[in-house]
Amino acid sequence: MWIYEKKLQYPAKVGKTDLRMAKYLVTQYGGPDGELSAALRYLNQRYSMPTNVTKAILTDIGTEEMAHLEIIATLVYKLTKDASPEEMERAGLGGHYADHDNALYYVDATGNPWTATYIQAKGDPVADLHEDMAAEEKARATYQWLIDLTDDPDLIDTLNFLRVREIVHFQRFGEALDLVQEYQNSKHIF
Amino acid sequence: MNDMNPIMLRLAQAYVPFQTYVNRWDPTKGLMMGTIFPELYRPYYGRDRRRG
Amino acid sequence: MQREQLELLKRIQALEFTAIEFNLYLDTHPGDQRAFMDFVNTVRELEQQKEIYTRNYGPLIVDDTARQPCWNWIDDPWPWEIEY
Repeated sequence: MWIYEKKLQYPAKVGKTDLRMAKYLVTQYGGPDGELSAALRYLNQRYSMPTNVTKAILTDIGTEEMAHLEIIATLVYKLTKDASPEEMERAGLGGHYADHDNALYYVDATGNPWTATYIQAKGDPVADLHEDMAAEEKARATYQWLIDLTDDPDLIDTLNFLRVREIVHFQRFGEALDLVQEYQNSKHIF
Repeated sequence: MNDMNPIMLRLAQAYVPFQTYVNRWDPTKGLMMGTIFPELYRPYYGRDRRRG
Repeated sequence: MQREQLELLKRIQALEFTAIEFNLYLDTHPGDQRAFMDFVNTVRELEQQKEIYTRNYGPLIVDDTARQPCWNWIDDPWPWEIEY
């Protein structure tokens, strides 16, 4: 089970209202390489993992991704705060306004809704950990492209934090992969 | 690679070197950097710097 | 949110982040006793700071509300509303 803590993992702030950036940033909320995909991918892959190390690392990184999802939501919330329908339309968010007003929704940067096809669970621990490591690299790259799209130092600060988390997670999944391969080779499972 | 590692690594599988915990940043600096482990920190300077 | 409360909240965020970092490291290095001791010490300080925070400013998890004078769990600001 999970217990909610009434605080963010990181003190996320933005320098100004910026609907253009909100439209791009939302991809880390509901896009293919976003935090929702990450959390659901890892927490769902736990059940077919053979070792305690992999069960633990998927649980703990999956849980941290939920905290990152909340950080992204907070950034989008702050970037879009008090925006009028006219401003939303000018930023290319007229369609979003028609469907959701100022509410958040799980979409990518071009408005495509989140889909389970973004994630996989193969049941093979080596294959699944490779997907997880690739997911961390894709999320890292996405944060870099997002940093390139803004000059707001407050926003860049939080995006940099999230970007470095992807690198740390890659390292941990890599270590878990080493241990799983060692375990499988010792049991002669090929 | 085998010259660098006395153990013969099995082919057709990926390896990530294991981290050894040596030093750490204090909590405030760690939160600011996104990791408490200095050896895991990689700065990003932006697309212009990357291409230049 | 007052400056003092904000500073304590940031201190808690920094300590909890440090605990998560040791948590993930220890998942793949369960035999590293030095990292384990640093995790233990971090969590001890984190618990102390959280105790001070909840006593002065309100609950961080819903069970903290059992030591509050009334049901103030619902009070604002919610995490996304805080201006850092």
